[in-house]
Order: sequence, then C-alpha cells, then structure tokens
Amino acid sequence: MADIVDIAVSAGSFQTLVTAVKAAGLVDTLKSPGPFTVFAPTDDAFAKLPPGTIQTLVQNIPQLARILTFHVVSGKLMKADLAKLSSVISVEGSPIKIDCSDGFEVKNATVVAPDIEADNGVIHVIDTVILMG
Amino acid sequence: MLSALIWIPILGAALIGLWPAAIPASRARLAALVIASSLIVWTIVLLSQFDISNAGMQFSELVPWIDTLGLNYSLGVDGLSLPLMALTALLTWIAIYSTNESVERPRLYYSLILLVNAGVIGGFLAQNLLLFVLFYEVELIPFYLLIAIWGGTTRRGYAAMKFLIYTAVSGILILAAFLGLTWLSGSSTFDYEAIITAGLPLTTQLILLTLLLLGFGIKIPLVPLHTWLPDAYVEASPPVAILLGGVMAKLGTYGLVRFGLGLFPETWALVAPGLAILGAVSAVYGALTAIAQKDIKRMVAYSSIGHMGYVLLGAAAATQLSLVGAVAQMVAHGLILAILFHLVGVIETKVGTRELDILNGLMSPVRGLPLTSALLVLGGMASAGIPGMAGFIAEILVLQGSYAIFPIPTLICVVCTGLTAVYFVILLNRTCFGKLDNDTAYYPQVKFSEQVPALVLAATIFFLGIQPTWLVRWSETTTNAMVAAVQINVDRQLANEIFDGNQAGKSPPVFAAVKQKL
Amino acid sequence: MTIATETKAKLPPSKHEFADVIHRLEAGGAMLPDTPENLMQIIGIYKAYAVPMDFYWRDLLYIAERVFLDPFPFFKYFIPKEYLELHNHYAGDDADLRIWRGEATAHPELLEFMEKGETLKMPKLLHHWLHDRVNMEFAEECMRAMLWHGKDMGWGQFDPYLDSEEYIANADKAIKAYFKYNPVMMALYKAFPDLFLEQCRQMSYYSNLGLFWEIMAPVFFEMSDIYDEGGFKGVPDAMNFLVNGIFAIAGRPIYHHVYIRGECYEIIPKSKGFMWLYEAALPYVEAVFYRTSPFRGTKSYNAQAKQVPDHQKDFHYGILYADVFPVGTAGIPPTLLMQDMLHFLPPYLVDYYHQHCRGEDDMLIQLGITFQRSMYCVTSAVIQALRTALLYPLDDPNPKHLQANRAFFEAQIDRFKRPEARLRNIQSHNYR
Repeated sequence: MADIVDIAVSAGSFQTLVTAVKAAGLVDTLKSPGPFTVFAPTDDAFAKLPPGTIQTLVQNIPQLARILTFHVVSGKLMKADLAKLSSVISVEGSPIKIDCSDGFEVKNATVVAPDIEADNGVIHVIDTVILMG
Repeated sequence: MLSALIWIPILGAALIGLWPAAIPASRARLAALVIASSLIVWTIVLLSQFDISNAGMQFSELVPWIDTLGLNYSLGVDGLSLPLMALTALLTWIAIYSTNESVERPRLYYSLILLVNAGVIGGFLAQNLLLFVLFYEVELIPFYLLIAIWGGTTRRGYAAMKFLIYTAVSGILILAAFLGLTWLSGSSTFDYEAIITAGLPLTTQLILLTLLLLGFGIKIPLVPLHTWLPDAYVEASPPVAILLGGVMAKLGTYGLVRFGLGLFPETWALVAPGLAILGAVSAVYGALTAIAQKDIKRMVAYSSIGHMGYVLLGAAAATQLSLVGAVAQMVAHGLILAILFHLVGVIETKVGTRELDILNGLMSPVRGLPLTSALLVLGGMASAGIPGMAGFIAEILVLQGSYAIFPIPTLICVVCTGLTAVYFVILLNRTCFGKLDNDTAYYPQVKFSEQVPALVLAATIFFLGIQPTWLVRWSETTTNAMVAAVQINVDRQLANEIFDGNQAGKSPPVFAAVKQKL
Repeated sequence: MTIATETKAKLPPSKHEFADVIHRLEAGGAMLPDTPENLMQIIGIYKAYAVPMDFYWRDLLYIAERVFLDPFPFFKYFIPKEYLELHNHYAGDDADLRIWRGEATAHPELLEFMEKGETLKMPKLLHHWLHDRVNMEFAEECMRAMLWHGKDMGWGQFDPYLDSEEYIANADKAIKAYFKYNPVMMALYKAFPDLFLEQCRQMSYYSNLGLFWEIMAPVFFEMSDIYDEGGFKGVPDAMNFLVNGIFAIAGRPIYHHVYIRGECYEIIPKSKGFMWLYEAALPYVEAVFYRTSPFRGTKSYNAQAKQVPDHQKDFHYGILYADVFPVGTAGIPPTLLMQDMLHFLPPYLVDYYHQHCRGEDDMLIQLGITFQRSMYCVTSAVIQALRTALLYPLDDPNPKHLQANRAFFEAQIDRFKRPEARLRNIQSHNYR
C-alpha cells in the first residue's frame, strides 16, 4: 500500500491539494507514520472557492498550512469510527463537526468517497473545502 | 411729541387697512415694520430728552376736548410710564417682525397690531382718567380679533370670547371707579392731577379702590381672576401672545400703581397686606400650575401669572426699593415673556408640537434647533432669576424692598423663584436635552431672520442684567416721589389716628418709610 | 431568479420578525434593499471612507511599528514620507494580489487634503491643532474596541496569543531594545512589566487593524471605480464583490513587527499563521460594527438602571445600532469619522445630500446614515461569506441544508431585533 501523499498524487483528482501540500511543506509530515485521517477536497472543491483565495494562501505558507492542517485529524478514523462522534479536533486545533445521520457529512462538506486506506492513515474525499469557524 | 406715538400707529393702521388692493398685501408687513421702527426711534429720542431728575409729568400735552364731560386730551410721561412705553415700542416691533411672512389677511392683521400698539401707548400716556379708559378699551376689539382670527386650534373662538368678556368687565369696573372717584371728590374734570382723594371718607375710598383693584386685577391678571389668561395666551399666535403678555398685561400693573397707589395713597396701606398675600398666592399658583403643565406654551403662560405676583408684591410694599423693583419687573417680565413665547412659537412651527412628552433633544447641533434651544435655556434662566440677566435685578429689588414690610409673602415669593427654576428645568430638560427621535426629527431649519427677535431680546435682557441702571434710572425719581406721597399721607393718617386715640400699628408701610428715612 | 423560486419552493416562508430580510438573504441579496439610490449611496460613501482609511492604515502601522511605546507620542499622527509611500500589498503594479487598479502609495486626494486641509496651506502642526486633518482618534477608538472586546469574542487565535509565554518573551525583547538607552523607562519596566506589556498588546492591535484596513481601502477604491464605469447592477453585485474580496484575501497574514534602530523585532511573526479573515476581519466586525463602547460625551449612562449591559458581549453601540442624529455633539466617534468622510465625498453624493433635509448643514448626519447603510451592506457580505465558508450554497438541493442556512441567517438577524438596531430604519429610503 502507498502512503497518503502517494495515493493523492496517483488519484489525479487532487492536483490542487497536492500542489498546496507541497507548497506548504507538509509532504514529509504526511509521509510520516502518523497515522492520520485526511479529509481531502477534490480539485472541484477548490475550484468552488472564490477567485484569488488560493493565490493569497499560496503566497503565505503558514496560513496555507493552517488551512490544510484543518483537514487533518490525528489517528486513523474510519467512517464507522467517525459515525460514533459528533466532532473531532483537527491538527489545526479547531473542531470539525461530523454528521453521519444522513449520508456522511463533514462540516458543510459531503464525503463522496469514504475510507480510502493508506499505509499511514485514511483518506475521506470531500466535495468542499472546509474552513474553520 | 407724545401724540406722535399714538397717532403714527393709528394713521399707519388706517393706511395699511385701507390701501388699494393693487398694492401687494405683502407690503403691509414692510409698512408695519417701518412704522414700528419709527416708534422705536421716536422713543429713543424721548429717552434722550427725558429728565430723570424730574418726578413729575414731562412732555405734557393738553387739548381741551369735551369740557362738559371733563374729558381732555391730556398726555404726559413720567418715570413710571416711560420704561413701559419703551417696552411696548420694542415688543410691537418684535411682534410684527416675528409674524409669519405668509400670514393670512396681512393688511387687517398688521393694522390691528398697530391699533393695539396705539391703544396701549395711549393708556400709558393718558393723564385724564376718561381718556385712559378710552385707550384701555380701544385695544380690546383688536385683541379679540387677533386671537379669534389668527389664533391656534378650534378653541380660539372660545378663548377670544372669554378674553373679551373678562377684559370688558375689567373696563367697566375701572370706569365705574373713575366716575365715582371724580364725582365724589367733586372734581370738575377727569384730569389725573385734579383728583384728590384725601377728602373722601375712608370707606368710600376703600370701595373705589376695591373696584379699581378688581378691574386691574383681571387685566394683570391676579389669582383668582386669571382664568382667561391660559386660554388666551395659548390660543393666540406667538406674536399676539407677546403683545398680550408683554404689553397689554402691563396696562393692568401700570394702572394698579398709577391709579391705585397714586390716587389712594391713604387707603393703600389698608389693602396692601391683602395685595401682598394675593401676590404671593399668584406666584405660588403660577409656579405650581406651570410645573403640572404638559404644553410648553401653557407652561410659559402660567409662569407669567407667577411673575406678575412679584409686581404686585412690590407695589403693595410700596417702599422705594420695591416700587422701583416692581417697575423693573414689569419691563423684565415683558422682555422675558416675549422671548419665551417667541421661541415656543419657533419650536411649534418647526417641530409641529408643543407637547412636553413628544419634544426632545432639540439641542442637537446638526438636526435639532440648537440656537433656538440655547436661547430657550437663556430665557428660562432669565425667567428663573439667574444673576446677570434682567429678571434677577427686578426680582432682587422687589424681594429686598418688600421683605421689611411683608416678610412672609416675600419669603413665599423667594421660594417661588426656586419653583420657577423647577419648571424651567423640566421644560428645558425635556425639550432641549435628551435624544432626538429618529422617526420624527426631520425638522426644517430655523432661518437667521427667525432668530433675530430672540437675539434682540436676549441682548436686551443681558444688557439690562449687567447694567441695571438702565433699567431703574428712569423710574427711580418718580417712584420715590410716589412712595413719599404714600408716606406723607400715611403720616397724616397716622397723626389723625393718634389724634383720635387709635392704635397706629396697622399700617406697616409707615415703619418701612420711617426706617428708610433713618 | 430561478434560485429564489427554488428556495422558496423548498422552504416554507420564514416566520422571523424580519422575514423579508431573511428571504432576501436566501435569494442572495443583502440586508440593505436593492435600489439604485442605495447602491449610489453606499458606493459613494465607500469611496469617501477609503481615502481617510488610506491614512488610517498607514498611520496605524507607523504607530505599531515605529512609534511603539514612545511615552510621549506627540507626533504619532504625523506620518513620515516613508509610510505615505509604503506600497499597499493589494494595489499598484507590485501588488501581491491586485485588488485596486490604482497606485500603491497614498491616494492623491489624501495627499492634497493633508497639504491644504479645509483651510489653507500651513505647517502640519497648525493643521493638527485646528483639527483640520484626518482624525486618527476614530481609528484608535476602533482599535481599542478590538482590544477591549478581544477576550470574549471567540474569534481567532490572536487575542489568546497575546497572553502566551511566547508573546511575552517576544515583547520583552522588543521593549528592552526600545528602551535600551532610556534607564528611566527601563527601571519602570522592571517595576511594572505588565503595564508595558499591556501597552505592547495595544500596539499589536494597532498593527492588526492597520493590516486589516490596508486591504479594505483598495477594495473600496476598486468598488468606486467599477461603479463609475457602470459595473454594478445592484446592491447584491456590490455585496458579492465584497464576499469574493473577503475570500481572496482571507489568507493575508496578520502580524506585528517593530523596527527599532533598523532592526526588526517580530513580536507576532507571520509564521504564527494568523489570517486576515479569522484574526482581523471577523473580530473587527464583531467589535466595531456590533459592540464598541458607548460614545463618550454624547449621553450619560446609568449602569444601575441597566442602561449599560452586565456583560461585555451584550454591548451594542456599533455603527449598526448607532443613533447618528446626535452627530456633532461631544465625543470621539462617530462625528470625527463623518468629518473625515465629508472631505472626500464624490460629487454625486454631495448633490444628493443637497437635495434632502437641510442640505449642506446636516450633511454630516446624512452621510452618517449613508455610512450606516453601507456598513449593513458590508455586514451582509460578511454574513454571506460565512455562509459560503461554513454552510451551504443558496441553491443547495438538500432541504436540510437550506434549513441550516436559514437557521444561520435567522440567528444573525436576531441580533438586530433589539430596538436600537437600525435594520428596520434602513429598509426605508426616508431614513436619511
């Protein structure tokens, strides 16, 4: 099996995410043993953000890293594990609301592909970039 | 010289009232202003020519008129009438100036105002009792019309009629007193100088004086003869209210001093305690009723009753100081009442209400009426007798002069000056301060020309407060002479009473007069 | 329009007191009704606001970075040339993200005004004393509101950081360097370190607000230019421009650097990851638009009579609640802000004010109310931006999501139920 980064790179629909992770210097972190749970927004999810959002973030690495780490939770949490929780704390520090009562929703994002297992954790693919608050 | 003051406005009234319809009616205001201004100029000339060391009548004019009746056209001015005349000239100008330029039926309006002015000035100048009554009655109908036609709400007809009935009765009482006085004293004319009451029995004098007091008491007005006042003042438009309160009511106090004190020096001492009590009652009543009002114009109207109480107290005490104070209070009251009525009028025009519960925050510098509010604060302070303004000078003179004679009524009046402050604080706090209501506070701006009357009056009030000599110097000699006359008479009466073996202690003025002599 | 009908079809009408406003928000509109008059007013006032704001942010940064803890900061409002020429990061050719197409240095109208004021050309000091200048007192009041409310607003990590060991250590380094040659102040610092730290925290908020406004000025300039070119079709267009702007610059770092004798001390380094949206914009809106503190000098407040709320979070003296009518009475805001904007009104707004109420004489109040309207538009943009970031699209097919959106809108509008709120007033064009 590959690690989280490898899976994301090979999947092809996470180009923005991968670029951002590389820019933020988080590649090594995500390649480390972890384990991590990553809520991975697709390219379409990033495209939904208003223009300029990504540009400013890419110019400011610490800020970009903060947004990205909000999508990461430490520990390997499968859908079944998350269903028992109402929220989890992100690596960034803010809570992420989880709602499995009707489908599988993470904050205001819907999980389109749950439980993609990697060596060092699990990826849940989401259709919207989630933000703190 | 004096005739001009009467005939210029009468001719002016005729001119404005009768001029051809071709001339635009708006010119009436201009003409009236020109006439009023010429009266002010003429008054200034008189003031400059007036000899303040002379206690008697000056600039006298005498034209025999109807000998058989004893009615002569006899005019004169002394220290008692001169300040009131000047006040009348000023307030008439103010009233005309502060009238809305788009007033209805301007020709009739301005000619009536000028007629009122002629009547009041005539009253102050007349040296013949019948002539006085004539002038006294002349201004009734114009006033009635001014209230009834240009007055406020639906109650104006009622208010005007009430005013007319009251003041007509007042005229009749005065006429009766004068007729009785002349006939009983055996005088062949109604000339003021010719009438001497000294020979009349005390009871007769008392009856005649009571008639006079009732007559003038309605005009002033004194509690309980005052009920026409709130209605008339409130229903009248502000310029007319200024004339009513500032000018016409002064005929009452003037008559009280001139004919009551002047013609009945002996009997005065008998009625004085009662008058002093009435003065105190008026002051208390005016102040307490004003506190209870919800309508700022009515509040000012009641304050007028209260302030007239001081005039009465001063006149009743009849000491040198108190009498000067009484005259000063007449002038100060006229000025202060005028500024207050004018400002209340401005507020009503701009804000559209006089209700204390609705008015608020007018001091707001951008959306409120800041200058109007500031002047209203000033007017309120002047009325409450804050030092530095004319009201204080007048009140302190009255109170200091009267205390030795009537300590308790005087103390009551002192308390009332405090109560004056109470209702003005209420008025100012609700009207000027607080927060503008955002839903309604879209008031039109007060134009500078609308501020002019209040500015002129405020300047006068300040000037007379800082330089009180200009308020009292005119009347000092005359009032001193009147006090002396009272005293001579009282001395004589005292001698008689002692001669008769009576107790002498009933007539307090004696002691005051004696004390002052010492 | 399809969006609107679809939304209405899915949810029953709101029963909220301000149901009209809720429905308008759900249809992608603003709290401010969409009329050409409103659009003209808010854009005009944005322009008039942006010019003094260009001064505010430069001076705030100057104070935070250079004046710092000067015990006698008499000349803190005199911006040196260096800060007037400081390049705005969001305007000009070398911008990080070019929001305004204009220049990066101080706005020409601002420079012209600083030169002459309302009166005539004279030394800076005389302009200062005559108050014929841009009034920084207002900007400082906003800064203090953020400082004062920072603790309990629950937005961002900026305020908690000010109490951290790391911050205290950073500040200590800067303070010691700043007073290196001033033994008196050094001794005072030894004796009362907390006093100096608190001043330093205030300086950090100077920096925070300066960095926040650095962005708002070009945003408003650009909106004015777009409007002049005929670009906005209605109030929602203007609001959406703001929403997009909020996202575009959300990641802008918020930091506090101090320059002492040529050396830079990073009291709050950029690497903390503090963001414009979370650490500046949202706290600013909460502290300045909603809460602030009672305007001094305009009114006496009786705390026993509950005229002052028990809890700071219940304060509601911001521009969204402000009574603009007493403008002109004593006290710092809002009069000084109105006065600042008065100098830079676009001609069409001056003409407009001349036609209403007292024309020239109450322009301060008229523009104050326009400002209030414009800030309701900005607040709408913030609400819509939060909805975009945290909730669901307005055309989401899932009714549960729409219900969540509605609950969010209703919760936001609930704050305007209190009687002082001007939301009701601004619905009518007669409020002016």
